[in-house]
Amino acid sequence: MRLIPRIAKRLGRLALVLLCVALVSFGLMMLSPIDPVDAYLGPQVAQVSPEQRALIAERWGFDAPPAVQLGHWLRQFASGDLGWSHVYNQPVSDVIGQRFQRSIVLLAGAWLVSALLGFALGVMAGAKEGSPLDNVISTYAYLTASTPAFWLAMLAVLLFSVTLGWAPTCCAGPAGVLDQDVTLATRLHHLVLPVATLALLGIANITLHTRTRMIELMRSDVATHAFAQGASRFDVAWRHGLRHASLPAVTLAFASLGELFGGSILIEQVFAYPGLGQATVAAGLRSDISLLLGIALFTALFVSIGNLVADTLYGVIDPRLTTGGS
Amino acid sequence: MTKTTRPILLGIALSCLAAISNAQAKEQLILAIGGEPEQGFDPLLGWGQYGNPLFQSTLLSRDKDLSPQPELATEWSLSEDRLTWTLTLRDDARFSDGTSLTAADVAYTFNTAAQAGGRADLSALAEAAAVDEKTVTLRLHSPRITFIDQLLTLGIVPHAKRKNGYNDSYGRYPLGSGPYQLVEWQEGEQLIVERNPYFYGPSPAFDRLVFLFTGEDATLSAAHAGQADIAAIPPALAANVPADMQRVIMESVDNRGILFPMQPSNGEHAASGAPIGNDVTADPAIRQAINLAVDRDMLVEVALHGFGRPAFGPADGLPWSSDEERIDAPDLAQAKDILDAAGWELQDDGLRYKEGLPARFRLTYPSSDTTRQLLAEVSAEMVRPLGIEMQPTGRHWDDIQRHALHQDAILFGFGSHSPQEVYYLFHSQHAGNGYYNSGFYTNSEVDAHLDAAQAAPSTEQANRHWQAAQWDGTTGYGLRGDASWAWLVNLEHVYFADTCLDVGELGVAPHGHGWPITANLLEWRWACD
Repeated sequence: MRLIPRIAKRLGRLALVLLCVALVSFGLMMLSPIDPVDAYLGPQVAQVSPEQRALIAERWGFDAPPAVQLGHWLRQFASGDLGWSHVYNQPVSDVIGQRFQRSIVLLAGAWLVSALLGFALGVMAGAKEGSPLDNVISTYAYLTASTPAFWLAMLAVLLFSVTLGWAPTCCAGPAGVLDQDVTLATRLHHLVLPVATLALLGIANITLHTRTRMIELMRSDVATHAFAQGASRFDVAWRHGLRHASLPAVTLAFASLGELFGGSILIEQVFAYPGLGQATVAAGLRSDISLLLGIALFTALFVSIGNLVADTLYGVIDPRLTTGGS
Repeated sequence: MTKTTRPILLGIALSCLAAISNAQAKEQLILAIGGEPEQGFDPLLGWGQYGNPLFQSTLLSRDKDLSPQPELATEWSLSEDRLTWTLTLRDDARFSDGTSLTAADVAYTFNTAAQAGGRADLSALAEAAAVDEKTVTLRLHSPRITFIDQLLTLGIVPHAKRKNGYNDSYGRYPLGSGPYQLVEWQEGEQLIVERNPYFYGPSPAFDRLVFLFTGEDATLSAAHAGQADIAAIPPALAANVPADMQRVIMESVDNRGILFPMQPSNGEHAASGAPIGNDVTADPAIRQAINLAVDRDMLVEVALHGFGRPAFGPADGLPWSSDEERIDAPDLAQAKDILDAAGWELQDDGLRYKEGLPARFRLTYPSSDTTRQLLAEVSAEMVRPLGIEMQPTGRHWDDIQRHALHQDAILFGFGSHSPQEVYYLFHSQHAGNGYYNSGFYTNSEVDAHLDAAQAAPSTEQANRHWQAAQWDGTTGYGLRGDASWAWLVNLEHVYFADTCLDVGELGVAPHGHGWPITANLLEWRWACD
């Protein structure tokens, strides 16, 4: 039913969003006070001759006017090339590909944990409003919602890695072991702490929203009717509440992909986990325009797809949402 | 860290160490000293400019006092006109794939690096040519003795035309004739290397090295958890040494000092738009008085937690710097005499004035650097009794470049293994050229000494000219001459090392904490069974 125009419209909008993201990111980079040649030289900033500085600017395209740089990048992009990252001396697509492989495990783990756990806690708290369980869960949610992730991560490292020695202090694998020799168990061991801290970010949000929606339901006519027929609170929560309360959870879970990305940058720094977050920081601090634009577009695409999935799931969860509007 | 947690931490670190260290550490050494080159291990883009290139070898190497020693080249000479270096290569140098390293590879490396637009600065090179299998000549545009730095730091890569030769992905798959070869580089995490079986030199003591590329916090955690054999530690955190580890201190010329604007302000602006000149610091009496008044030993204690030594020049203790440039103790009385003689009169508000001009100026430091902030604030207090008010001001580097660079006194950090830095800092030709000579220091005598050094036939002779630029008996950029800077401190780089690790005699590190400690890696030994 008018599927093709709808998809076309969606894609058109997506393209527009990506273009805006690219233009805004580029504009911000141009406004950034960082001198790309200084950033490229790093600690050697005072070791090279003026001639060499000029050569560096020419080789990596730092000296071109902004309009030319943008035009060059757009032309490349149109032909499917994301450009060359001068920080990593590698095609941008390779950098993103390699780093995303590491990040996706972290992100997916944290996302699943936060969505499932957050939802479950929210349902439990909301179903028994005012109970001790509700109080514990709500207090916990308010506490974590107001805790900065990186601070939590540092505490976690101090407690679990340094003091207790249960978890590794850093990285995605143990020191001195080749990538191919790292077992799945070891990988998971290295993931536990970052995933747990990153997940804590999302849990609180989802819990609180689900709880509110659940409380609403429990006070609604539908629930009163069910109670009158002899259903227990658990029955009502299970039969009516889940579907009802899942709408905000789904929205939040998919809409929070962006936040999750942001959180992962901090977490990756603390745990020295080599993902896309580290590359983003490097690209920003060292004026790697191609890489930063590549990552910005990639993230935007990722979040847009998340929203698209959420929109589609609405229809499945609540059929009323598909019939209305155009 | 509070006092109560320290014993607990140490106890835990001890038990962890007991569990893992003995089994592994001998054949595999784990180093958490940072220094990951994101671009890869490509000398043409600058890998190795800051210490041991590990995978590649260089034509010459530095010994402890930084004088050149044979490495790939067994003999070298500079022509009469100072324009052509001729080097003879050793016969037994092989890349880690077993093939011989020849003059063609050397010429290729130099010619390509000159075009590469990386951190290796070969702008002085006109052309490199292989005369025969074992002889290579390097021709320069103009005489420049500091070109020898490239013979000391540029790792030789295989010619692109040979099998396994240089290509775009060389940085990730380096092939060289150095002591180690790459096994795996897990980017952002660690580097694993093993001995190169074809290395011509003495076999290194460790079969396998693992470099962890962790940030400051993770490095400290790893050291305390017993997961690293040597770790670079910021001085502020160096008090609490993990069990079974000891502090290793590396001296450095990683210095901090105050640069003074040398010109009076006359409304001129640099190309960047930053105003030039400062009427107060343009007066030599002010600069000399400040140099006499600061208590450098106390600065080391307060700002560097004791990990440092007083600085009196840009390259203290290096062959191109004079040992006679020093002030043994602060001398406020002499400083006051100098100010009085120059007409700076102390007034009721405790400040000195000269013809209505108050002795007041900003001392700008990059706001992100707490060490420099401390140095700025403490040294400002030290000169206050003289009636000079230095106003410590934190700014972002960008802001410094656009506004402060040429009109404020700046708390800078320099320090290099090459006298080229002295040339950049004090030659009038580089006045206002970015961070070089940003005080617009101009002294034709000093220029003449610096040019004579560049034109010298050998580094030894050049060193005499470099020293003369500092003080030639009548003038110079140094303390006794124009006092263009007040150098304050040289940092010491702090490492935690396993008590079993013997790192031999460490040299003097340049600016930059971490990788430079690997300079004498081949002398490291494991002292326990």
